[in-house]
Amino acid sequence: MASSAAYPDADENLEAIITRIEQKSRKIETLLKQSKPVEALKTALEGSPLKTLDERCKSANWIVVHRAMMAIRDVDGMFNSLDPEYYDILMKYLYRGLSTGDRPTCDQCLKIHEKLTEKAGLGCILRSLADTVNTV
Amino acid sequence: MAAAAIHQFAECITCHAWSPDQSSETNALPLLPVLRSRSPLVGSDPQSPRAWRSSSAVIAFCPNNHEVHIYKFFTDKWEKLHVLSKHDQIVSGIDWSKSSNKIVTVSHDRNSYVWTQEGSDWVPTLVILKLNRAALCVQWSPKENKFAVGSGAKSVCVCYYEQENNWWISKVIRKRHESSVTSLAWHPNNIYLATTSTDGKCRVFSTFIKGVDKRGSQSSTSTDSKFGEQIAQLDLSSTWVFGVRWSPSGKTLAYAGHNSMVYFIDEVESSPAAQNLALRDLPLRDVLFVSERTLVGVGFDCNPMIFTADDTGLWSFIRFLDERKAAPSASKASQDWTVKSWYGIWKITSALQNSSREGFITNQIKGTSVITHRTQGTILGSGVLQVFKIQGQPGWKDSPDG
Repeated sequence: MASSAAYPDADENLEAIITRIEQKSRKIETLLKQSKPVEALKTALEGSPLKTLDERCKSANWIVVHRAMMAIRDVDGMFNSLDPEYYDILMKYLYRGLSTGDRPTCDQCLKIHEKLTEKAGLGCILRSLADTVNTV
Repeated sequence: MAAAAIHQFAECITCHAWSPDQSSETNALPLLPVLRSRSPLVGSDPQSPRAWRSSSAVIAFCPNNHEVHIYKFFTDKWEKLHVLSKHDQIVSGIDWSKSSNKIVTVSHDRNSYVWTQEGSDWVPTLVILKLNRAALCVQWSPKENKFAVGSGAKSVCVCYYEQENNWWISKVIRKRHESSVTSLAWHPNNIYLATTSTDGKCRVFSTFIKGVDKRGSQSSTSTDSKFGEQIAQLDLSSTWVFGVRWSPSGKTLAYAGHNSMVYFIDEVESSPAAQNLALRDLPLRDVLFVSERTLVGVGFDCNPMIFTADDTGLWSFIRFLDERKAAPSASKASQDWTVKSWYGIWKITSALQNSSREGFITNQIKGTSVITHRTQGTILGSGVLQVFKIQGQPGWKDSPDG
């Protein structure tokens, strides 16, 4: 089964996941203070609990990703430094963002979605819709 | 490279197969467009099966009804030679055997017929499959002594000919698949059969049948297995999977997932090593190995995609076959040669000529077109026939074996 190092083992303890997310959150705050929003987003996307079914973990990670995502001002610049391996998972979080219905979140998600679709193509959207195993 | 010719056979074609090459001609066929669809493509059904004959271009297909039409290409146009009508419902799979010149058809009516040519007629023989759901796909084995049928009954029927009683017997592989079997592929050793299913998994079974297959003449792994034994199960995609094929040597297995990915697996029997290739665009529906290192994939983009493996065995997407990407919503009344289909390309088959190393690949387009591609020359398509010239095209890597 293909899984990059960014995705943790499904058997990982839930508490361990939550701890990891909290650590990520602190790291992201530091990065944002240093005006490194793209690094912050990468950190947020890395190690996302995709395989677990626990809603708490997923929500906790979503909050972290949302924080990093909203801090991005220059979307084009972001894509210059974001590696393609993050595209699929970013797309999944964009759809989660769009499903919140919250105006600022949706605005930001749509902005990023437009550019991400240009970069990654329709296949990326397909995968975010079709993948029922790795969910955000 | 745009299509060189487009021929429309029907409003909708469900499946097709090429007839075997029986001549040693290697010249390109005349590239003339016959028809271009101008009518709206209505129809909710996928294409029917077709078969194509190489140099003199004979093709069998189902125009979305319960018949099979056989057309032959005479100089500048296609002519209907035969109509095989025995099925009660849509014919969902056709395969034309290369050396024994038999056509096997399967249909939604849960039956299968093997057609043999006697004189100028095709005579059907019923094969009782013991299915309680539609048959979806069929393939002759490499030695043509067996054929496999995938069905919506979550089973695969492997049929072989019993000489004493002069009929085909079906052995069913049950209880392995969790859902419909969408496509099948025989390994060159005539024993392993790979299947893809709407449960998202690709499985490899042994179809060793006593009396039909010989033990000891193959490698030890394949002869030790019993009929219906599952050799491997690949759970790489969580979505429906289609279009499984073995490479010509049998070393690599490739299939397409509905999540816009193509999976390549080496050494399935011993230690499977998978490569997952994520596609930029819409999913593929069928793939075809043009050579050991080159794969053509067709799908909802209506534009065949070429993949090649480099020397280390790493597969990557090279380019689209048609340089201009066709947009499904574009106007139909155009004179250009690109594939315009509303539903995408459904199936790709090839009829390789034994004499030359040119091959024809047919892409079946849900709706009207079928594209044939010749690997070293022109690509001829039919259905809405598209011809692509690929001589001297950069990026087309011809490997030594194909």
